[in-house]
Amino acid sequence: MMKRVIGTFLAAAAAAIALSGTVLAEEKPIVIGFAIAQSGWFAINDDGGIKAAELAIDELNAKGGILGRKIKTIYADNKSDRAQGAKGALEVLEKGADAVFVDLDYDMGVAAALEANKAGKIAFSIGAEDVKMGVQGVGPLAFTSAMAAQLEGAAMAEWGYEKKGFKTTYLLTDTLIEYTKSVCNGYDVAAKTLAGAKIVGRDTFKNGDPSMVAQVTRIKNLDPAPDVIMICTFTPGGGAAVRQIRAAGIKTPIFSTTAMDGNYWLDAVPNLSEFYYPVHGSDYGDDPRAAVNDVVKKYKAKYNAEPPFTHALLGYVAVNLYATAVERAKSTDAKKVAAALESSDGIPTILGPYSFSHDLHIQNKFSFPIMSVQDGKHAVIDTWVTKTPFTTNELLRKAE
Amino acid sequence: MMTDRFSIAKCLARNASPLVLCGAVALIVIGTALANDAALDRTVTEALVRIVYVVGLYIFVGNSGVISFGHTAFMAIGAYTTAWQDCCSTTKSLFMPALPNVLLQANVPPPLATIVSGVVASIFAGVVGLAIVRLSGIGASIATFAVLAIVNVTFSNWDSVTAGTSTLVGIPNYTDHWIALLWAVIAIFAAHFYQTSRFGLSLRVSREDEVAAKASGVSIFRQRLIAFVISAFFVGVSGALYAHFLGTISVDAFYIDISLLTLAMLVVGGMNSLSGAVVGVAAISLLIEVLRQSEHGFALGSLTVSAPRGTQEIGLGVAMLVMLIFRRNGIAGNQEIGERLSRFLAPQLQRSSKLTEDF
Amino acid sequence: MIAALQILVDAISLGSLYALATLGVGLVFGVLRLTNFAYGDFITVASYALIVPTAGATEIVIGRWPWPFLVTAAVGVVVIVSMTSEYLVFRPLRTAKPAVLMIGSFALGYIIQNIIILVYDGRPKAVGLWPDLGEAIVLSGLRVPKLELLTIVVTLVLVGALVLFLKVSPFGVQMRAASEDFRMARMLGVRANTVIGTALAISGFLAAVVSLLFLAQVGVMSFNMGVPLMLFAFVATVIGGMGSLTGALIGGYILGFASILLQALLPEDLRTFRDAFVFAVVIVILVVRPQGLLMPRAARERV
Repeated sequence: MMKRVIGTFLAAAAAAIALSGTVLAEEKPIVIGFAIAQSGWFAINDDGGIKAAELAIDELNAKGGILGRKIKTIYADNKSDRAQGAKGALEVLEKGADAVFVDLDYDMGVAAALEANKAGKIAFSIGAEDVKMGVQGVGPLAFTSAMAAQLEGAAMAEWGYEKKGFKTTYLLTDTLIEYTKSVCNGYDVAAKTLAGAKIVGRDTFKNGDPSMVAQVTRIKNLDPAPDVIMICTFTPGGGAAVRQIRAAGIKTPIFSTTAMDGNYWLDAVPNLSEFYYPVHGSDYGDDPRAAVNDVVKKYKAKYNAEPPFTHALLGYVAVNLYATAVERAKSTDAKKVAAALESSDGIPTILGPYSFSHDLHIQNKFSFPIMSVQDGKHAVIDTWVTKTPFTTNELLRKAE
Repeated sequence: MMTDRFSIAKCLARNASPLVLCGAVALIVIGTALANDAALDRTVTEALVRIVYVVGLYIFVGNSGVISFGHTAFMAIGAYTTAWQDCCSTTKSLFMPALPNVLLQANVPPPLATIVSGVVASIFAGVVGLAIVRLSGIGASIATFAVLAIVNVTFSNWDSVTAGTSTLVGIPNYTDHWIALLWAVIAIFAAHFYQTSRFGLSLRVSREDEVAAKASGVSIFRQRLIAFVISAFFVGVSGALYAHFLGTISVDAFYIDISLLTLAMLVVGGMNSLSGAVVGVAAISLLIEVLRQSEHGFALGSLTVSAPRGTQEIGLGVAMLVMLIFRRNGIAGNQEIGERLSRFLAPQLQRSSKLTEDF
Repeated sequence: MIAALQILVDAISLGSLYALATLGVGLVFGVLRLTNFAYGDFITVASYALIVPTAGATEIVIGRWPWPFLVTAAVGVVVIVSMTSEYLVFRPLRTAKPAVLMIGSFALGYIIQNIIILVYDGRPKAVGLWPDLGEAIVLSGLRVPKLELLTIVVTLVLVGALVLFLKVSPFGVQMRAASEDFRMARMLGVRANTVIGTALAISGFLAAVVSLLFLAQVGVMSFNMGVPLMLFAFVATVIGGMGSLTGALIGGYILGFASILLQALLPEDLRTFRDAFVFAVVIVILVVRPQGLLMPRAARERV
């Protein structure tokens, strides 16, 4: 009799504890820590992505959060300094972050991502296009919501060849950062797979150089003129390059990178035309995917301005990827979330299906809307899915 | 016995300055270790690595009077030499394919890699110094800047050997606060022994008056070269320590910003004394942290008072200017900390120590 | 033949830009013994004066004014910044050692740069300044963009004016005296603050001109746009011969020539190392002529 009473009592107590455990778990939020630039020169670059990420988090919370838990965000400003970013990651981890989101630039965010990885937590970059934000670089728990930079070059090479009939290209590489070199490398690799396509000339310049006369003279002296000039660059040097090329009377179509998105630099080239580049998604409301235009509209409603450039959308995607993976893994445990991300079924996002593998934590195939600038106005004119295959090793080391 | 106490006192007196400096730094590190705050730990470790750099810089700049913008090149060389030895064993051949096989397969233990990096940096300094150490004044400074620029451009574009502009990742984490403290102590004592040695004193004479030094038989070229090489060793080591601290390195981190910031730390602390070098790093690092915290905000009761974002940098600049305006010779002036202590311990050394004071 | 002439013209144009910047730096060094690390930021300020900070795309205000007003306004802003720096930073540090002056100017530059980032944000801004200058005058295959011609002409005019000023005007004579021997000059009645103020004002003026010519070339400004120009100016001042105006000019042209020639003539795989070659040339010059190519009479230390 006594045994039964004690037994029931113990069982009830156990049940109560278990129940209270679940009740507490329901209320405990999922914490996403942003170790990111909120001040200093880089802050403006992360800004759009952070805002888009916040938008995604608000939407998720409105639907009840992930696994019934709301998402809480905490921030640590890296002040545009990489070592400070590492400290920021430590700070948000100390405050209980389940995952650390880092800058959209690989160089800026890598130190922070390393700390997260060391602490056994997921590190998600809101748009790094470098495969080293992944297994072979930072570690097995690092992911990025972007595709490899080489794909941008490949997309332009393929699209120009197939849709515009461009066979001869003049390749102009900005040597200041790795990203631009990778894009041009991707163009090179893709061009080799296209029958009859030729790089008829190459040159380099350094972002910030006061003059590009020598490079422009070389282009002008080409006979016959190339079908297209591919410039792998970013502002300010990219704006300077396009300005000087057009000022020299060179009317050849110009291809460039996602980093040239945005209308803030267009004043440098009056009535710019025949300028084309890939985007992850269009911020101008004319993306072929309704979901993207929807997000742009919501962004504008919340922040009173359009996303400043295409990369902002990658912040939104990063949150979606993480959220979906947590749902599928039914846990915030980093290894389980990583496994969920790497699983063979793709993860749907506003930009299309994403897939990661045990080896590759970045997209090596992507669907790009092709943005054109005519008379100073932006418009999406086509979409292109990259065809040139890139192995992980090729992405890690520039294929010769 | 009386003579033993005497000579211990003398020994302490002669080395009072580095002992006091190292003691103070060690206390801070012990305090940090006890505090168990990860971010504070990293701040202090980074400051210690900077001390190694700035003390190394001081060995040349402080004793010769020649401002060098180029020492950051030695830091870069130290950092990349380390990466060649112990980075990313599985992917090294992908990142830096043109490295010789012996390096591609090497996985040198970090302590050894650090020392080797310092040695490589000093060899490079020796070769470069042969050309530029003859120069004086602003010409020498610009020549050192040219060296930095050459190293920067070369490393940024020699993709197959340095991975170019790509940020390398995968360097093992060897620098914790104890290792950094150890190297700071070594650097401080080395600088002290150097500057109280015949070599250091000869160089200091040339700092004050080149013509008089030459007339006294000092070979300015040789003395400067020696100081250049020794200082490059420690700056190279600081590069290795930094690589082992952050785990990632990239070429653009070793250019003008770091060069000017470390020079500022040296000058604000006091260019002509070892204590100045250490105090300068401590003061500016502390200032940066305090200003950053003020952006984070302090809790005053239920309110959080915080400075607007972006004011940390402006505050730092203003504070440096104020410190320079009010302490022209730097915080330490031209003196070494511990001079009073050494006078107390061994007054009979006072006469000889006065001689060194004038320099 | 045409190709060689083309390179020559391009080199003279870039050399002129560098020469102007070098004059601005060299003048202040001659009088104050100051390596002004804030000079790059003076250059940046001139361009940013053309725009107004806004949330979205750049709002160009002064940048739309007709060129006489635009130039005057830009020059005015930089001269004000320059004079304020003199009052707040350089004068309190007047008697300090060169190293302290230098770090003081670095701190000043750091402050200015971060104020720009705070006020305008870190993204590059575009001002399509004087786009018609991009058109080229073509003479039987030789392409000379009007902007290159303007740069060369402006440099010649300003250098001529400066030389005249230094030789003929009382201020100029005082400045030359102060450059040679500051203490002696003061004893002879030269008012230090006037001379220094004039030097900094002229330096600011030159910084503004350089900035506008640069902006007209590249069309896009950024918060650290002036730094490469300033660094080249420092180097040029030293290889030309410190304290010598002609030396500053020559130094600027040498660097301009070296850059253009190397960019045009180096084989493709060495082209990215262009700056390394330029600085190697600098080291050679310094080793062979440590005092610079043109050493003014008073510069050598007398025993």
